[in-house]
Amino acid sequence: MISLRGVSLVYPNGVRALDGIDLEIGKGDFVFLVGHSGTGKSTLLRLLYREMAPTTGEITVDGIRVECLRRSRVPILRRHIGVVFQDFKLLTDKTVWENVAFALQVTGAHTRDVIRQVPRVLDLVGLSHKSRMYPGELAGGEQQRAAIARALVNNPKILLCDEPSGNLDPSNTTEIMELLLRINLKGTTIVVATHNQAVVDRMRRRVVRLDNGRIVTDEERGYYFLGLGQSQILSG
Amino acid sequence: MQATAIGTVTVTIVLLGAFLYARAVLVHFGADVLNQIEISAYLQDGTSPARTEAIRAVLAHDPRVLSVQYVPKKEGLQQLRRRLKGEIDTSILTENPLPNMFRVRVRTPELVPAVAAEIRKMPGVQYVNYGQDVVGKLLQLVAVARRAGIAVIALFILVAGIIISNTIRLTVFARRREIAIMQLVGATNAYIRMPFICEGLLDGLLGASLAVALLEVGRASLVPRLVAALPFVASNVVSVNLGTLVPQLLLVGAAVGLIASWISVGRFLRT
Repeated sequence: MISLRGVSLVYPNGVRALDGIDLEIGKGDFVFLVGHSGTGKSTLLRLLYREMAPTTGEITVDGIRVECLRRSRVPILRRHIGVVFQDFKLLTDKTVWENVAFALQVTGAHTRDVIRQVPRVLDLVGLSHKSRMYPGELAGGEQQRAAIARALVNNPKILLCDEPSGNLDPSNTTEIMELLLRINLKGTTIVVATHNQAVVDRMRRRVVRLDNGRIVTDEERGYYFLGLGQSQILSG
Repeated sequence: MQATAIGTVTVTIVLLGAFLYARAVLVHFGADVLNQIEISAYLQDGTSPARTEAIRAVLAHDPRVLSVQYVPKKEGLQQLRRRLKGEIDTSILTENPLPNMFRVRVRTPELVPAVAAEIRKMPGVQYVNYGQDVVGKLLQLVAVARRAGIAVIALFILVAGIIISNTIRLTVFARRREIAIMQLVGATNAYIRMPFICEGLLDGLLGASLAVALLEVGRASLVPRLVAALPFVASNVVSVNLGTLVPQLLLVGAAVGLIASWISVGRFLRT
């Protein structure tokens, strides 16, 4: 579903943000990208939805060669990918319903489809009863669910989450992660960049660890800290 | 913000329109003066009637020539007497000093110098006069007015374009979050661009419409006073109207709005 081969990104000032990344993510996978701030987690996600282009290397997302994609084709790629951010990126002057519908409308979707799809995703994230409220009237966790609903309304095969729990308290974080898990069970490939240790350690999913723009470990059922998780489990 | 853009377009198009109108009047006035120009071809004394008729025939068949009129010396003197009546006592003239002549009118003023030069070379013609200095200067003036017009218009349009472009850029900037989200969920650039293009187009059209209205009001109130003050230009000024200028000015407004907003949104979308 997602494949990176020898991907490097060097900024004009010479800083190497990513260095020789090789990564394969299969259909329906759930992958955590972990590492300190500034190790390239967000940058790697940005490459996947073509917010940035790599300096060298090949990136394939859902069969689309991303790095050599023409500008006019980028919207097509983005319709196959849902993206969720730490700061939700909701439009504050639109209701939850309108925010979700917006994502469909801008792709030129039929009103018929909007009326069918929006309740479906709002129901999925558990926000049907608050669809008429504005983001400012919602709690942080609810705003993130609205953002997830918006990301899913196009039926993307891939959901990219950049620190989705960064602004949330632990209980909301748990709920959001459970929601992501449910979405994953329906077959959506999910990549979560996070430095929330508790989440990673509890979920026991594939963990790709970045350091200084390189992948240092890639474990099938990993912990946030290499080795340390093991001792925590033992002591717990 | 919108008001600033529309206002600027209005001012620009009022200036442009006033300029174009004044130019049209000037060109019209110049052309009118030029159209009254006739070539006087004086014949040598003693040119035979056959030769005179030959000259007339050649001129009459020339496609550039509108009319040829033969004025024998006797008639010429009578006309001169009538014209100078009360100013100069023409009775002191003991003999007729005037030669026989042709009065020739050509189709367009630009043809005058060439036709005059050809007549000058005809055997039997002594001297040709068409107010060379005045015609030359008028032709030059009209040409300069036309050329200067293009430069000034280009400048006006550039200014209006820059202002609309800046206005749209501010609107784009104010809505950058919305645009970023649109891009994120896969809206095409054309889709994102559309409302801004419409806004630019509307700004341009509204500004131009306002300008046209102002121009018409200005013309309606100024022209009668101008006619009263300068009776001799009256017919020319009145006969020029805004009719053909209106669609042109609206088109300029719309085009400036469209192109300027296209450029400013495009620059934003590329980054």
